[in-house]
Amino acid sequence: MYRKELMPGVMLTQMDAPAFKRCRISLNFMLPGDRSTATACALLPMVMERGYAGCPDMTRLARRLARLYGAGLSVYGGMIGPNRVITISISGIRNEYAVGGEDLLAEYLELLFGMAFEPDVADGAFDAEAVEIEKDKLYELQQSEINDKRLYCLRQARRKFYGDTVGGLEKYGYAEDLDDLTPQALYNAWRTMVTTARVEAVVLGTDAQPVETRLLAALQRVDELCAAGTQRPLPLHPPYAMPVQPVAEYAEPVDAVQGKLAMVFTMDEPLPHAQLSKMRLAMALLGGTPTSRLFMNVREKQSLCYYCTSGFIQLGGCMHIDSGVEFENTEKAKQAILHEIDELIHGEISEKEMEDARRYLCSALESVGDSLSGLENWTMSEISRGTMDTPEQVAQQLAEVTVQDVREMMRKFHLSVVYVLSRGGKCDE
Amino acid sequence: MNEAALRRLEQEMQPQSFTLENGLTVLVCEMPQFKGVHAVYATRFGSATRSFELDGEVINLPDGVAHFLEHKMFEDEDGNDAFELYAQTGASANAFTSFDKTCYIFTATGAVEESLDILLDFVSHPYFTEKTVAKEQGIIGQEIKMYEDSPEFRMLFGLLGAMYHECPVRTDIAGTVESIASITPEILYKCCDAFYQPQNMVLSVAGNITAQQVLDACARADIPANPHTVRRICAAEPAGVLRRETEFTMQVAQSIWGIGYKAPAEAAADVRGELICDLAVELLVGETSPLFSRLYDDGLINAGFSGEYIAGDGYCCLIFGGETRDPDALEREFRAEVQRVLKEGIDREQFACTKNLMLGEAITGLESITDMATDQAEVWLRGHTLYDEVRQLAALQPEDIEAMLPVLYDERNSSVIRILPQA
Repeated sequence: MYRKELMPGVMLTQMDAPAFKRCRISLNFMLPGDRSTATACALLPMVMERGYAGCPDMTRLARRLARLYGAGLSVYGGMIGPNRVITISISGIRNEYAVGGEDLLAEYLELLFGMAFEPDVADGAFDAEAVEIEKDKLYELQQSEINDKRLYCLRQARRKFYGDTVGGLEKYGYAEDLDDLTPQALYNAWRTMVTTARVEAVVLGTDAQPVETRLLAALQRVDELCAAGTQRPLPLHPPYAMPVQPVAEYAEPVDAVQGKLAMVFTMDEPLPHAQLSKMRLAMALLGGTPTSRLFMNVREKQSLCYYCTSGFIQLGGCMHIDSGVEFENTEKAKQAILHEIDELIHGEISEKEMEDARRYLCSALESVGDSLSGLENWTMSEISRGTMDTPEQVAQQLAEVTVQDVREMMRKFHLSVVYVLSRGGKCDE
Repeated sequence: MNEAALRRLEQEMQPQSFTLENGLTVLVCEMPQFKGVHAVYATRFGSATRSFELDGEVINLPDGVAHFLEHKMFEDEDGNDAFELYAQTGASANAFTSFDKTCYIFTATGAVEESLDILLDFVSHPYFTEKTVAKEQGIIGQEIKMYEDSPEFRMLFGLLGAMYHECPVRTDIAGTVESIASITPEILYKCCDAFYQPQNMVLSVAGNITAQQVLDACARADIPANPHTVRRICAAEPAGVLRRETEFTMQVAQSIWGIGYKAPAEAAADVRGELICDLAVELLVGETSPLFSRLYDDGLINAGFSGEYIAGDGYCCLIFGGETRDPDALEREFRAEVQRVLKEGIDREQFACTKNLMLGEAITGLESITDMATDQAEVWLRGHTLYDEVRQLAALQPEDIEAMLPVLYDERNSSVIRILPQA
């Protein structure tokens, strides 16, 4: 792996990845999450993805990508913990697989840098019609989360957990902001992104040099847009955790066939990076594998649900558990889940169980390099944490984790929020 | 097209293929540049098989048996759960059932031979009791209910149920809570006797493994040939759709509209037919189509609007749908575009782009051990090879698609569904 600082706040990471037929280049713009710009940052990727100055028409752009053997060009906006990341990426087959003999890489670079740095703007504003169209789409996206009851329940639990803090910032922004979001404001959001964000370029399966050259030139051009005194990069929010609070339970009535249960636990303080491997093993034991406690006991032995899984968010200092259960079994499932946590703290944990979980994780770590997405996700996760551990290093750390470490990890969690999608009745708070 | 590139593709797409004495087909793609191995052990038995003759006895199945069997295969006579056995090798295992097949899979980076032994062993040695069947009814009941809350799932099966009179694809792959209640160990054993037999199965393995290692695992498993005679019985499917319109409400943010075209079952009976169906869908509603961007910008669809074709023994249909603020306007626009394409034909530029896109997808599949093992098994079950698809795709002309469009988009064989938000 090759990693280089191109200029302050701008890094490039490259991996040869010769096993793959495709190459992939992504430009990741990382900004501190901010309520006042959350909706603009959510809308910006949608408007950018429609096209750029060199190819503003959606259909023409789609055909151009199709002609390049279905190259994928996308702009994706998301949150990593409390920070916002906007990723512009292109992936496509390598030149040697072009049955027409085309120079695909040159086209990929033109499209990628066009989309990132040459938006379809005039007079300091994005196209008004495009902005209105995408505002409608964003609104629909925000509203449609109720369609997926599992996701909806988890998000509602998360909202109650984080409240108005930065961890609770909405990935898709806020409906109430949309009316006032103008094409000019959106252009300002783009300017803020390209001039103040920390930039992480990730190049997989192709030479870094042309990316480096084009990125530096593009940043130099946009820096001329920079207001005096603006500095790249704006500091990102550090990892954080919500304080311990009395358990708050919510029941929201839905018209559904199956109930949903989501539980969020705080750690009270962020998990130091050195303990992450301990936490990985604890999560695998609790609800991260098909032989985990939640799967084997809550699903298989008690037949309470089809799924019951746990997840850990390091940058947000919390654990969540969710399950789809019969409405009348919600309380039973909740108690069964709490019992499994308690058992991990106070009950027996066999060496075999520890080894099985370790093996499962090590196998997953070993296969990180077997896909481009695995490589990129690993790299970006490490970058977001401020570490550059390799999967091999993490596997070594896992070998050292003890039963006591697992207990110590599980003891850190305090139940904060229980959110239930219930049948009929009134909303219960 | 560049002949050297095509030859290279042919080479890379061709698995090593073996037919064992017991009739099992083994496909191996040696990909030493990867660390992991992905294995797929598949049987040609899915939810669309609901009736068959086993040694002269006619067996009629309740809905959901193939999927139920998939769940139950993971337990053996000694009470071992296959997941627990896999835990000792570090493999990540799973299984899935579709209309026409059931697949048991694992991905592993170490102890691959042991994982192959586990896979071949538990799928070959079924063990069911009244008690274990009853336990699974609870878990699968929850799975069925989970899908009943999914609007996309309700749209798909709403359309299949409206288009087909008798064909089993009209019912949820997992069956219903009521139908799975009537499943017994005897029924499951009969299905195993009929379909979990080497002549009806394929083992497809891709990744950091040699063909010899896979063959050795098969030798260790020592699976006997099938002593039974089996004949599938397909229900006769009347022409035309059962219902032209379906409408109901759900707790959704906005309406969902879908349309299905019931095509002749033989339309996608070979590689060429499959490709034509695929292109007929992509050319109409893919992002390269004029319809997609017009509907998108008019606010009638969002990026999730899509289409697909579904085909197998005795069924072939094209299905389109997604969220919309105005189902009636979307239906008008959609049907009008179908008529326009039928009348004016296919845009040649779009056709060329879309062929490239599909070729790129085929090439992309070569870089993944999961895709390679899965795709090889799937195309084998359908009776062709991956390279057949590339070769046939390269040969297709717009006129080939246009000749089939009136058959695929016959308005008389269409059915519409509207899922409306609750008031």
